[in-house]
Amino acid sequence: MKLYRDLTIRQKKIVWAWGFLAIPVLFYCVVRFYPTGNAILISFQDWNLLGARTWTGLDNYKKLFGDPVFWKVFKNTFVYLLLGTPVSLVISFVIAYHLDKIRFMHGFLRMLYFLPFMTSAVAMAWVWRWFYQPVPIGLFNNFLASIGIPQISFLNSTSNALPSILAPAVWAGLGFQIIIFMAGLRAIPKSYYEAARIDGVSTWTVLWEITLPLLKPTIVFIVVFSSIGFLRIFDHVYNMTTQNPGGPLNATKPLVLMIYQTAFSSFDMGYAAAQTVVLFLVLLAVSLLQLRIMRDR
Amino acid sequence: MANLRIRDLVKTYDKTQVLHSINLDIDDGEFVVLVGPSGCGKSTTLRLVAGLEEVSNGTIEIAGRVVNNLEPKDRDIAMVFQNYAIYPHMTVRKNIGFGLRSSKASKAEKDKRLESVAELLGMTEYLDRKPSQLSGGQRQRVAIGRAMVRDPAVFLFDEPLSNLDAQLRTQMRLEIKKLHQRVGSTIVFVTHDQVEAMTMADRIVIMKDGDIHQIGTPAEVYHKPANIFVAQFIGAPSMNMIPGRVTGDGTIELATGGGLAFERSLPEGREIILGIRPEDLHPGQASGVIEGSVNVREPLGHETLIYVGTSNGDVIAKADGRTPPEIGETVQLGADPENLHIFDAATGEALA
Repeated sequence: MKLYRDLTIRQKKIVWAWGFLAIPVLFYCVVRFYPTGNAILISFQDWNLLGARTWTGLDNYKKLFGDPVFWKVFKNTFVYLLLGTPVSLVISFVIAYHLDKIRFMHGFLRMLYFLPFMTSAVAMAWVWRWFYQPVPIGLFNNFLASIGIPQISFLNSTSNALPSILAPAVWAGLGFQIIIFMAGLRAIPKSYYEAARIDGVSTWTVLWEITLPLLKPTIVFIVVFSSIGFLRIFDHVYNMTTQNPGGPLNATKPLVLMIYQTAFSSFDMGYAAAQTVVLFLVLLAVSLLQLRIMRDR
Repeated sequence: MANLRIRDLVKTYDKTQVLHSINLDIDDGEFVVLVGPSGCGKSTTLRLVAGLEEVSNGTIEIAGRVVNNLEPKDRDIAMVFQNYAIYPHMTVRKNIGFGLRSSKASKAEKDKRLESVAELLGMTEYLDRKPSQLSGGQRQRVAIGRAMVRDPAVFLFDEPLSNLDAQLRTQMRLEIKKLHQRVGSTIVFVTHDQVEAMTMADRIVIMKDGDIHQIGTPAEVYHKPANIFVAQFIGAPSMNMIPGRVTGDGTIELATGGGLAFERSLPEGREIILGIRPEDLHPGQASGVIEGSVNVREPLGHETLIYVGTSNGDVIAKADGRTPPEIGETVQLGADPENLHIFDAATGEALA
C-alpha cells in the first residue's frame, strides 16, 4: 500500500489504466492472438485434427498456389468485393440522402430499411433461394413468365449464380450503412446548405462539393467495413447452395467457404490454415490500402 | 444598394405564431441592428428576409420589389452566419469564390473581384489556406468576404460575433462598422448583445416575443426608452425600477420611502414605476430621494458600483472610483430630474 501511495499522480493513473486493461488484454491473448499464432503454425504442418502434427514446411502453400480451385475461389472473393462494395455504397447513400429529407413516416421507413440487417442471414438466404426457383415455384421467374419473358436460371448458372447470391448479401447490409450515412449527413451543419442556397449553386454542386467531401470519414468507414464483410462472405453462399456448397462448378465459392470445406469436410487442417493465413493477409492489405487512399491529406 | 420594407410580417410554425405583424422600414445604406433576448423573433425575421423560411403573411420588399416568393439567390442579398458556414475542405479562395459560383461574370472578372475583396479584408496572403489554419477572426473575415463578393443590395448578419472571444468581438465590431462606412451598403444585423447594438447601429430595433418594442437611434432608445422592457434591456447594469404613486401635490411617493417632485403633470393616485439608470444615481447628493445602506461594492476602477439595500430590494448606483462609501454605510442617493423615467405600472409604457 505504501508503495502505491508513494507513486506520482501520473504513475497511479498508469497503474489503474493497466489494471482495467488487464482483462481485455488477457481475453485478446487467449481468444485472438493465441489462435492466430497457432493457425500460422499449423499452416506449416500436416494435421487431420486427431493424429499427430507433422512439420511440412512450405508444402501447404506450394499446394495452394498450384491449386486451380484456389485461384478460382480467390477470383470469386474479389468479385464479391469489387461488385458488392461499390454497389452497396451507392445504393445506401442514395437511400440515406433521400430518407434524410423525408419527414413523413421517417422513423418507420428507417426501421424498414434496418430490418434486414437484424434478420438471420440463414432465414434470409432461404427465402431468396425460394425467390430464385424456376417456374412454378420461384417468385421472380413466375413474374417474368407472367409478362412473357423466358425464365432465368439464377442459381444453377455459372454466370448468374454469383450476382444472385450477392444481391441478398448487399440488401442485408444496406440497413446498417444507411444508418451510418444518415448519422454522417446529420452531422453536417444546416447553415452550410443555407449558405449555398443564398449563393444560388445547384443541388448537384451542393452534393458534389459540399455533402460528399464532408462525408468522407463516413465513406471511409463504410468502405472498409463493407469490404471486410464481402471478403468474408460465407453464410449467404453456403445456405443458397447447400446441396453443392459453392457451386455450380465452384462459381460462387468464396475463400471462407473453401477454408471451411478443407477443414471440416476434408479434415486437412494444415491446408485450411494456409488458406486462412492468405485470407488474413488479403484483408490486411485491402484495409491498409483503403485507409491510405482515403486518408485526409 | 437598396432599401428594405417589411409590412405586417407574420410567421407561424404549426400553430405557434412567432412573429406578430412586424413593420420595419430600412433606408438605403442604413445599418440596422435587431436586438432582443433569445426567442424574440429577430433571427426568424432575418431568415424570412433571406428567404430561408417562408413568409406566413405580410410582405417583404427589397429595392421596391416584393420578394416573398423569390428564391434566396434571386433576392440580391448575402448572409453571414453565426458559425460562419465556411467549408472546412475548401481553401479561403474557394470559399470566397463560392459566393460567385452562380454569377455569370467572366473568370477574369470573378478573380478580380475576389482579389479586391481579399485585399479589403486583409486576407490576400491567406487565400490558399484552409479554414482550419485560420484564427477565429480570420474565419469571420472569410465569411464576410464570401458575402461581399456577391456585391448584394442588402447584407444580413446573423449573430456573427457570438462565437468570438470578448477582445476579438470588440475588434470585429469595429471592423464591420468601418467596412460599412467604406462600402455603404444596407446592413441588417442580428444580435442578443445590447452593447453590439448600441455601438454599431444607425438605428436599433428592439424585439421581444415576436413584437417590435421600439425602433430608434442608439441615443433615442437609451435616453427615451418606450417601455420598461427596452429601458432594462439597453444599458448595463440595467435600469433600477422603483414602484411609486402620484400624490395630490404632483409629487411621487416611492415604495422605498421618500418622495420627489416631478414637473410633468400626472393624474393623482396613478401607480407608476420610476426608472433610474445606475449611472444617473449618485450617493451623497443633497436632493437625495433614496436612502439605504451599502450591501455590496463592485469596483471597476474609474468608478464603483454600489448595491444599496432599501425596503424595496437593492438599488444599484454609481460612486466615485477612488472614495466609494464603505460597506454598511448609509447613503443618500440622488438623481437629476432630467434623468428620471416614469412608466405606467400597469402597462409598462413610458409616460411622457
